[in-house]
Amino acid sequence: MVQARKLSAPRRRAGRTGAGRRYVPRWRVLAVFLLPALLLYSVFIVYPLVSALDYSFFEWRGIRQTGFAGLGNYRDLLSIYPYDQQVWRAFAHNALFFGGTMLIQNTVGLLFALLLFRYGRGKRFLQAAFTTPYLVDPLVIGYLWSLLLNPTFGPVNALLEGLGLDSWALPWLGDTRTALPVVILVNAWQWVGFPMLLFSAALAGIPAEYHEAARVDGATAWQAFRRVTLPLLTPAIGVVSVLTFIGNFNAFGLVYAMAGSTGSPAGSTDVLGLLFYRVAFLEGGVEAIGRSSALAVLMFVFIFGVSLLATSYFRRRERKLV
Amino acid sequence: MNRRWIAGAIGVLAVALAACAPGGGASDQGEEAGTDKVTLSLWSWRVEDVKAYEKILAKFEESHPKIHVEFKPFQATEYNNILATGLSGTAGPDVAQLRAYGGLQPLIEAGQLVPLDGKVEALSGFDAKLLEGAKGHTDGKIYGVPFAYQTLQVLYNKKLFGDNGIQPPATWDDMIAAAAKLKAAGITPFAVAAGPDATWTLPIVHEIFGNARYGSTAFRDALAGGQKKFTDPDFTASIKLIKDLEPYFPKDVVAVKIPDVQALFATGKAAMYPTGAFDLAPVLKANPSLEVGVFQVPPPPGSPVTTPVTPGWADGSFGVNARSAHQAEALELVKWMATPEFGQLYSTELKQLSAVPGVTPSDPLLAEMAKNYATNGAPYMLLVDFRYGQPNGDAVFRDEVQKMLAGQTDPEAVSESVQKGVEQWFKPGN
Repeated sequence: MVQARKLSAPRRRAGRTGAGRRYVPRWRVLAVFLLPALLLYSVFIVYPLVSALDYSFFEWRGIRQTGFAGLGNYRDLLSIYPYDQQVWRAFAHNALFFGGTMLIQNTVGLLFALLLFRYGRGKRFLQAAFTTPYLVDPLVIGYLWSLLLNPTFGPVNALLEGLGLDSWALPWLGDTRTALPVVILVNAWQWVGFPMLLFSAALAGIPAEYHEAARVDGATAWQAFRRVTLPLLTPAIGVVSVLTFIGNFNAFGLVYAMAGSTGSPAGSTDVLGLLFYRVAFLEGGVEAIGRSSALAVLMFVFIFGVSLLATSYFRRRERKLV
Repeated sequence: MNRRWIAGAIGVLAVALAACAPGGGASDQGEEAGTDKVTLSLWSWRVEDVKAYEKILAKFEESHPKIHVEFKPFQATEYNNILATGLSGTAGPDVAQLRAYGGLQPLIEAGQLVPLDGKVEALSGFDAKLLEGAKGHTDGKIYGVPFAYQTLQVLYNKKLFGDNGIQPPATWDDMIAAAAKLKAAGITPFAVAAGPDATWTLPIVHEIFGNARYGSTAFRDALAGGQKKFTDPDFTASIKLIKDLEPYFPKDVVAVKIPDVQALFATGKAAMYPTGAFDLAPVLKANPSLEVGVFQVPPPPGSPVTTPVTPGWADGSFGVNARSAHQAEALELVKWMATPEFGQLYSTELKQLSAVPGVTPSDPLLAEMAKNYATNGAPYMLLVDFRYGQPNGDAVFRDEVQKMLAGQTDPEAVSESVQKGVEQWFKPGN
């Protein structure tokens, strides 16, 4: 930061005094650096988002627009059977997915981070080991786990049966009660390294004096964690929560690989991403573009809105710390 | 200096973007300099058929020396989007493989295809049931030359049947007795999957076992005319058959996937495989020494139809892009695709049932399926009639049947859901 200021200072002076034409006005330099990224961002992010919004307000027959629909596509999506039920069911599953992930993945991630922070042995190796799964695409992870959990040929149930735990050899992905929890666990297995890394970095940033002071004041280990460590982790918790929220409400690859496009069995793992995929591509009636765009817009508005609210909430919490 | 920089940066970007754009199709490179040979681009979703199509199309080029056809396949799962985009621009195909029934309508409604009525005379000889797959739902015009059809029946393992003293069943009760006997011998009677990748096969299983029970073509006509609904007791009874047969499916059927049942059948751990003609090749590829037989399911007790039925549907067709720069040549190609010469080549090279009338498959099992369809054919109703709006009839059906197999609903509720789903867009009498 200091360096940057030093570097830019003489140039600014030059620009203001107009001492020489050799110096380029600043905005042009900036433009050269910003334009390529801005162009790519506009073409691949802003344009599709805006066009989805645009599409959602029109009536469609195939890829032909036949007229302005107003909120018609939104109304259809929320009133036509079975979408009227599937939208809310998928939304509830996303919420469960998020809740389960916060509870399991992020607490376990915090626990791992604390253990690694306290007992440094093998830290590098364990960090690498815990983060390896997220180098692999969720589709691949989902596929591998569905093979492991296969009730006919899978090794998990063969192992359970071999150990005499026959009653535990369940069709994990084929039972409406176990399927979603299993998907949440596999997701946590894949991503647990992510909160662990963020929490590790945040823990390393807490000055040791705070803990010493707490110890001098006679705080127990739990009190020190609860009153000193945890509040100081607020920024990291904020980042992890918001990113988890965004990731979970956009979930697709893992669920698709483990539960197919219909959220098997019997829709017990159906999430908004799968519903979008079905409406847009699989059950592609002539109205598909309008309705799927409407769903995409609703998802975006919800995820964006909640993320903004959550971010500002955590900002306020952080400010209280200072 | 700086201007040059900016210009350079923009230039690099422009080149990069141009490189990302889809490659030019045959239409713009049609006329080769010096000769008047025309290159047609033929799009398909069958990546695995490249070799066979090269052979087939070479025959066409022999008799049409002024036309060269370039076969361009795309990933099947991406094909619909690629084709819709291709047809709306100038880089699209001249002739394209088209989905059937509901899957074809978006392209027709967008005006992207050339109607073939009166242009391809041979179409008048095609099976009327199969032609429906290539027709516009609202205008009734034909937009493609059907290339193949699929039939639904039970494949069985001849050796397992022989070892257990079982004959292909003549009655429903025979079939149940055979299933019970096989189960007692530790063999899975029916290779049926209802897992995450297999829900789309559940309407197929229902057709195979239940078509006669719900009343086949007569029931379909009554639905179309508005005299009957899906909540009809016969239709509900046909769904109940699946529930009744569940003990003879693999254990935990809602967790079982398609590769699992293919493996069960190919390795002789399952004796019967209720499926489409399309599964014959993969099964034999997995185990070339497998002795496979075919039978049609005998009508269950109480069926309005008392003869066995082989349900079937048109797989797709070949149509002409309305924006093609070579309409005449493209038309020549689809005309040729309606000839027995193409049909026979197609059937022999690809081991599929050709939709061209008078073509006999060289494979004896396919020939038997073709014969069954010719004598006892009926439409696969949910696919043929109920994919024209959202929600699809078979989409609601497969979700509900999977629920039923998971013990969460019953046949009556399945019927009600299907009726409730389709009546939002399906208006009888049209």
